[in-house]
Amino acid sequence: MNTELSRRSLLALATATGALTALPAFTASAAPQRPDNSASHDSSSHDHLWWQAPADEGSMIEQGLPIGNGRLGALASNDPGRELLLVTDATMWTGGLNDTLDTDGQFPYGRDDFGSFTLLARLAVEIPDHDLSAVSGYRRTLDLAQGVITTSYVRSGVTYRRQIFASHPDDVIVLHFSQSGGGRYTGTVTLEGTHGEGSSVSFGAAFPNGLRYGAAVTAYGTGGSVTVRGPDVSFSACEELTVVLSGGTNYAPDAAAHYRDPSLDPERLARTKVRTAARHSADTLLRTHVTDHRALFGQLDVTLGTSSEGQRSLDTWERLRARARDGAPDPELEAQYLQFGRYLMIAGSRGSLPLNLQGLWLDGNDPDWMGDYHTDINLQMNYWMADRTGLSGCFDAFTDYCVDQLPAWTELTRTLFNDPRNRYRNSTGKIAGWTVAISTNIHGGMGWWWHPAGNAWLCNSLWEHYEFTARRSHLEKIYPLLKGACEFWEARLLTMTLPGTSKEVLVADSDWSPEHGPLDAKGITYAQELVRALFGNYCAASAELKKDTAYASIVAGLRKRLYLPQVSPTTGWLEEWMSPDNLGETTHRHLSPLVGLFPGDRIRPDGSTPADIVDGATALLTARGMDSFGWANAWRSLCWARLKNADNAYQLIVNNLRPSTHGSNGTAFNLFDIYEVEQGRGIFQIDANFGTPAAMIEMLLYSRPGHLELLPALPDAWAASGSLVGAGARGGFVVDLRWRDGKPTEARIRSVGGRTTTVAYAGSSRTVTLKPGATVTLRDFDR
Amino acid sequence: MRSSSYSAMPARALRALVVLALTAAAAPVAHADSGTEASLATKPYMGWSSWSMQSSKYPGLNPDGDYSYLTEANVLKQTDAMAAKLKKYGYEYVNIDAGWWRDTTWKPAFDEYGRQKADPVRFPSGMKAVADRIHAKGLKAGIYLPAGLEKEAYGGGRTPIWNADGCTTADIVYDDLRTTNGWDSSYKLDFSRPCTAKYIDSQAQLIADWGYDFLKLDGVGPGSGKSGDQYDNVADVAAWNEAIAATGRPIHLELSWSLDIGHAADWKKYSQGWRIDTDVECYCNTLVSWENSVDDRWDDAPAWTRHAGPGGWNDLDSLDVGNGQMDGLTKAERQSYATLWAIAKSPLYTGDDLTRLDSYGLSLLTNREVIALNQDGTPPARPVTPSDPQQVWAAKNPDGTYTVALFNLADAPAAVTGDWTTLGFTGKAAVRDLWNHENLGTYKNRITQALPAHGSRLFTVAPRGTEVTFTAYEAESSGNTLVGNASVADCSACSGDHKVGNLYLGGKLTFNDVVVDKAGTYQVKVAYISGDSRSAAISANGGGATRHKFPSTGDWGIVETVSVPVSLKAGTNTITFDSGTGYAPDIDRIDVPKSS
Repeated sequence: MNTELSRRSLLALATATGALTALPAFTASAAPQRPDNSASHDSSSHDHLWWQAPADEGSMIEQGLPIGNGRLGALASNDPGRELLLVTDATMWTGGLNDTLDTDGQFPYGRDDFGSFTLLARLAVEIPDHDLSAVSGYRRTLDLAQGVITTSYVRSGVTYRRQIFASHPDDVIVLHFSQSGGGRYTGTVTLEGTHGEGSSVSFGAAFPNGLRYGAAVTAYGTGGSVTVRGPDVSFSACEELTVVLSGGTNYAPDAAAHYRDPSLDPERLARTKVRTAARHSADTLLRTHVTDHRALFGQLDVTLGTSSEGQRSLDTWERLRARARDGAPDPELEAQYLQFGRYLMIAGSRGSLPLNLQGLWLDGNDPDWMGDYHTDINLQMNYWMADRTGLSGCFDAFTDYCVDQLPAWTELTRTLFNDPRNRYRNSTGKIAGWTVAISTNIHGGMGWWWHPAGNAWLCNSLWEHYEFTARRSHLEKIYPLLKGACEFWEARLLTMTLPGTSKEVLVADSDWSPEHGPLDAKGITYAQELVRALFGNYCAASAELKKDTAYASIVAGLRKRLYLPQVSPTTGWLEEWMSPDNLGETTHRHLSPLVGLFPGDRIRPDGSTPADIVDGATALLTARGMDSFGWANAWRSLCWARLKNADNAYQLIVNNLRPSTHGSNGTAFNLFDIYEVEQGRGIFQIDANFGTPAAMIEMLLYSRPGHLELLPALPDAWAASGSLVGAGARGGFVVDLRWRDGKPTEARIRSVGGRTTTVAYAGSSRTVTLKPGATVTLRDFDR
Repeated sequence: MRSSSYSAMPARALRALVVLALTAAAAPVAHADSGTEASLATKPYMGWSSWSMQSSKYPGLNPDGDYSYLTEANVLKQTDAMAAKLKKYGYEYVNIDAGWWRDTTWKPAFDEYGRQKADPVRFPSGMKAVADRIHAKGLKAGIYLPAGLEKEAYGGGRTPIWNADGCTTADIVYDDLRTTNGWDSSYKLDFSRPCTAKYIDSQAQLIADWGYDFLKLDGVGPGSGKSGDQYDNVADVAAWNEAIAATGRPIHLELSWSLDIGHAADWKKYSQGWRIDTDVECYCNTLVSWENSVDDRWDDAPAWTRHAGPGGWNDLDSLDVGNGQMDGLTKAERQSYATLWAIAKSPLYTGDDLTRLDSYGLSLLTNREVIALNQDGTPPARPVTPSDPQQVWAAKNPDGTYTVALFNLADAPAAVTGDWTTLGFTGKAAVRDLWNHENLGTYKNRITQALPAHGSRLFTVAPRGTEVTFTAYEAESSGNTLVGNASVADCSACSGDHKVGNLYLGGKLTFNDVVVDKAGTYQVKVAYISGDSRSAAISANGGGATRHKFPSTGDWGIVETVSVPVSLKAGTNTITFDSGTGYAPDIDRIDVPKSS
């Protein structure tokens, strides 16, 4: 099938799904609101990560510090003599719709056809006299609360300081160089493309896929001189220097426009942005940024206990090493790790595209798995944390992405899914709605193998956001996705008579339980669980919106007939395939058959689920082991938290905090999670940086609509005292929780739309009824 | 004492002194006692050597084939550049390396007495004229010879030996013509035969007559990759020492390469310096490279440290830091290279093209504080915390200060901490940065600096605090737990005359009653013995172990110390040394500081 999707058909689909409102990611914007001078920028050292060495340019992914304004991101080396920034824009993608299937009926998955996330530019600020070997007292700090990197050092008696941040309001990256003691800055600023554009104070170019991109830099200083011209910026004897960078693409999240805004000239827009920002002092830009960042960061506060003075005296890397070596809990470090995840969420997911496998942070143009949007765990995991940690606004990029891709996904499904070469095609011969492949890109395209149940998992994730926020507008936005996914499954489900019985059930057609075992298994647990949840969510959405009630009753009927997995009499595990046999890898990274335990709700240890199912799930989780890749550990931790096993849940978090050396699984110097793809080669994969914090929250607060449970899996390490202030809870609440000696002392519950919920602790519960906006404070949990 | 001492006294008078010494001692001459050579190598020598450029494939250096860089014109060009740029900083020797008697196809030439003869294409004016030209610039001249009788000089055994009536080449080798030296390029000399020393005398007289001040004797064993009787050239070296003395000309004798540390006493007795390692050159498109083999020296130098001193020095090989592009090193690597050479008291001779030094290279080669440190007679530095790629090396100076070098041998920038406890004091200390000529101020208990990949810092640290007090725990204490093959053994060099050894393949030693007042990370000083480089996994209280490297002490009878960080809790602790699946050093004792 070589036919390119016609503009008309996409337009028609886009109209049908109501997705024509999106603006380009990189766009002219109104002047930001400036904070008044009184805005406090105090920041606690609890929110400071710090290091005593800069990054190696060859190890930026492990050692560079990330900044981002939700679209424009960078890794900074913080080397005194040569500050290197590897700059990205979330939309900087090669490839395209990728609508010609390979001979096996699956999608090509290369950097040209499917495409890849790539770097936008490199920026280097060279200050030759400040060679690292010549400076003393070097230190760099990432202030999570302010969103600022600060580097300081002494050279010949002068203290030099530089601050780097990515401003959402001004849509630029700012580097501010200052000093005290009569020092001067002399050097050059070089901006260069990474796709052969060369170096220049601004550049613009286009990919073969038609995506135009561009970037620009400017600089200004006091004392001395600054020259912005030609291939670079030079500065001489400046007392102070400010460098401003912007850039982006003409990507438009609009399938009907083939994801382009033809009128947008990115280079020109970047030049305008840096010129506009450069009218303001560095201090004004900083205060504007900090005010904006704090408004989000301040939504959640977490304290897990008190660390020792010895632990506090160590820099972040040494602290990680000591945590692993000495085995002593470091509750402040563990809380910092959680907050670092929130920092990345704020930096990486605001109004543009959602966080891909690496967020906004790359060290080259060949990220593993293209830095794409994987739909069989990774994209979903990236967003488990957002609502739980007061960052519901950051979730919107995920929603928008799905909505904006839906026309293309629908068309690709309609035209390609039932290709006779596709082993996963519907044997019913019917086709409806939409689904996805394991990989998706930003151009409506898909990569690698078809992933039929991916649509259900995406929808369930979007539905959960509704459960947290109770926002009807969100529900209206995602409703077409839910409905289309149900239609897909209505066409796909097969009727099967269970062997040895006369019972007829509905099962998913041939599929692959991610990412192991048989390729053509019917009724895999993964699909059965996800589709069951999808159908339930759809019916609830239909009822809430009072839409398509007749169709909802059809879906409800299908739901009742869905086959649900059994416990294998052979292994004692919840079956992954409709087979008592272990057909895959026992300790496989994915927990696909446990998707009903987390993030799903079907398997609960509260007596509502048959005990054998809970036992089977627990046995399977036990068999999967405690030592896997970062995201796999995070998922395991979340499952153990759901099973109220605090020791295992905590141990898996500790495992993820192990310092990564020589590419081993664990946490890098810069706290990025490292995934060991092969012996000695680790790559950055961001999902664990979000999944692990999600697990930490899940240990402290469990929620589902109508039910909250306090401290379900509180580990000993955090039991002495702590607090979680601003955590989102499903059902439409925000919870402020404090505890001491392992027991809650106070739970303050505020409704953001929720009305009634039970609040449980250690087997006893009470019911709370609130109006939206109202708050209740509960105490006396001993009784 | 230093400059041109040999010209201060007529040669004849010197020779008389030697004879007197010989008569008086009635024993082979030991140079330390000899009047002629007392002035040699009082400090590590400084200069230039031709080999780095000869051995490199850097474009343009060797246009007429491998090693063809070595010519009279090039040597004199370097002589002029050294006189102009480096002489005033103490650089003195211009050393001609291998090949001066070989043509561009490496075919050798010998005189009628089987002695090496200048290749007329390389050195059209002859070797004496070159030495004269070097001397005319106020510099000293160095030359090179391989150990043994080169096979091509044998001449069927009929070649007469100069000034040795009746002796021919057949009379100086073994009947079986056994070969020797690092390349087996010579017949081994048989010093039990009376003619043999005459041959060395004849060579020595020739280079003395030419006016050379320095001889590199290469391929010397045990060493140069060889061992065993056939490659034992100790007698050659002894003969050279005597022959040089007999010429009456002070000629510095430097031995090469990878000399066997087991014979350190011989090398010290007969020579003024010895290469401890393989060639620093990479034989590639640059002069050297970090991995091949500059960085070997951090592992290999520690065993030798104790052998360096006035009269003889540990030679780490050429210091090729003068031109980043030609050297094939980063700035940070060049500074680290120069730092190690300086603190190890290695001779400082560069192999760079002195006509093409870059400004950074010149600043490294002419840093007066660093040169002074190398030349000032203070002891060489040793690693105090060698376990990590982040290493601290130090030496205590007679004036109470410490020389402290921080190294980051990792491939990425890292913070390196020098903890004053590992030096033996706590409290404050004033820190002087030698490379940057800066006083950095006062640092309490430690200094931490960010270092680039393969980077370094070099400080003089002046303590203002108090001495650390330690509690000693003997390995052989009956309260300790030994596991596996671990056992107590006699050890005359050890405190308590005992150690715990046989720590291999699961052997473990646990100190059971290590008491400290406060929890913290303690710099535990480990006194150990290890004839080769080994490691042990060290843990406290059964917690996570960290594997630490222990550099060779050079000999199974020598105790050295290093410090390792160990996290202890208040009260009683255990500290375990676990050999794991490998071999750990023998442990004499640990000293635990009173405070962390």
